[in-house]
Amino acid sequence: MVDTSVAKQLVQAIIDNLPAPVGPRRPVHTIGIGVKGEFVASNVARNYCIAEQFQGQPVPASVRFSNGLGGPDQHDGWSDVRGMATRFHISDGKGSDLIATTLGEFFVRNVDDFFKFTEIAKLAPYSRLSWWQKLCDLVKLKVPDRDPYLNETENVNAGALRYANQHRFAQLGVFQAAVIGAPVSYARASYHAVHTFWVTAPNGVRRPVRFSWQPVAGVCNTDPMAVPQDKYLFKELDERLKKWPARFMLMMTIGEAGDAIDDCTKPWPGTRLRISMGTLTLLKVSEDQEADGERISFNPNRLAPGIEPSADPILEARLGAYEASREIRGGCPFKWSKVDAG
Amino acid sequence: MPADEGLLDRIVNWLPTTLGFKRVASWILVPYWAHKTPVKPLPGGPHASFQHGDNVQCMMNLIMPLKVKSPIGRAEAALAIAQNKDAIYAGLNNVGTVHFARFVIVGDNICMFSVYDGDFTNYIRDFIATIGQVFNAVVSLVEGGDDVIPCEENVEAFIQWVHERDLYQVPDTPTDFLRDQEALNGDRAVSPVNDDLTLLPRKLVLQLRANPNVSLGSGYRAYPGYSAAQVRERLGLGW
Repeated sequence: MVDTSVAKQLVQAIIDNLPAPVGPRRPVHTIGIGVKGEFVASNVARNYCIAEQFQGQPVPASVRFSNGLGGPDQHDGWSDVRGMATRFHISDGKGSDLIATTLGEFFVRNVDDFFKFTEIAKLAPYSRLSWWQKLCDLVKLKVPDRDPYLNETENVNAGALRYANQHRFAQLGVFQAAVIGAPVSYARASYHAVHTFWVTAPNGVRRPVRFSWQPVAGVCNTDPMAVPQDKYLFKELDERLKKWPARFMLMMTIGEAGDAIDDCTKPWPGTRLRISMGTLTLLKVSEDQEADGERISFNPNRLAPGIEPSADPILEARLGAYEASREIRGGCPFKWSKVDAG
Repeated sequence: MPADEGLLDRIVNWLPTTLGFKRVASWILVPYWAHKTPVKPLPGGPHASFQHGDNVQCMMNLIMPLKVKSPIGRAEAALAIAQNKDAIYAGLNNVGTVHFARFVIVGDNICMFSVYDGDFTNYIRDFIATIGQVFNAVVSLVEGGDDVIPCEENVEAFIQWVHERDLYQVPDTPTDFLRDQEALNGDRAVSPVNDDLTLLPRKLVLQLRANPNVSLGSGYRAYPGYSAAQVRERLGLGW
């Protein structure tokens, strides 16, 4: 397990690279919105996993959608990773979390990689390429860097690219992040839990799996050529849910021998068995955003019995890092240990 | 539009969207870079894998240019398929590893697209045994086909001929595409390396010059991981 001091260093490395202080808030995924919903498992989910949320009864859920960028400013229209943190409220007041983002794969394999990445991918000034630099790129059959967004004076793009050029394992994650775009709605993006988990079936069979949320409304991004708007996602979600619930299907992909179990930089092939585990129905934007969005502390290692974390070093590091981040902002504490979840 | 954007900025931003630029790039820039940084054609068919999920629902995408490039040639191809319908069904039922197979005429090409389970060479071998005469009828209409028919007497050559016409399957991720290029060039470097990810667009363009016809992605499957036999058995259709 990653010790507390390393967890604090992880969080500090993120804080050190923020464009502005965020106070007692999350250092990344700072801007977010809490939503109330309900999850109902599919009729086959219980055959694969004994966790309470997969037994078929409706399970209340709290969801926090977020923009990936850290910092106090909201830039909904910027190309950015989005987050969907879900808590299944199972019996006895306990929770089981599933934290997902629009990024399919992560860009570092372990804590050491992460520290090296943060050394290289530092915030740096970002400005418009001159027209002749763009023309040179076009002649080289390269795509010129995009123009900065309004008020965008710095970002980590150049450093992240430099890191990826030196480390092939990082290339997929960095590439995906660079072209990810902005969704027209939080309810119109796919979210991936990135890590592998082990699920236990009623007959005791344990399977390595990866989870993804697929929007029933379909995936749709904004026009990348249009001038991005800073604030539209909260209002869009609120108005959408006032008219009609939004739904997500939870898909579970089962890994095979030889698939990357403990490495979240490596994708699994699309040829793996894919199980529909249930449907999440989002009902309304929470009235108490402080309690249901900002102070709720998700942790990818908070898992109901029947789901276990893999030995993915990043997943393990997130256990401590999320707690260190929670302590800084005074959110709800982690209630379960890995032993409880086993 | 940002306030500091000048006229030349706007022109250069607009340029890549224009047909004129794309044509000039195709005529001048692509041949130039293909000469400066040659790219070899990538081999067709599924990527080699021992894993179960990768060995069911495999794709074969054959594009075979017809000898007679006219409606007559296309009609001959259509007739060759229509006349052998019974033989195709009989072969399909006997082999039992095919999810679906389609013959399509595109321009002056007869195309065969199929999804099958198991090893590619066994798949072709099984079909030579069951519907060799259909292959002979089709391949006799195709450029270069005379060298490998009758396929029953040229089994290995026929399998190789088919493989060479099977389209390269562009991987699902851009980085796997880069890895394919590196593998073909014998580059198996590990971190740290000195790549330039910004060259990905050019690498893709040049690869599509070397492999003009490709299959995009490994296929999108509604029930991945199941063989035709498993599907038929679970649906109670017999096998």
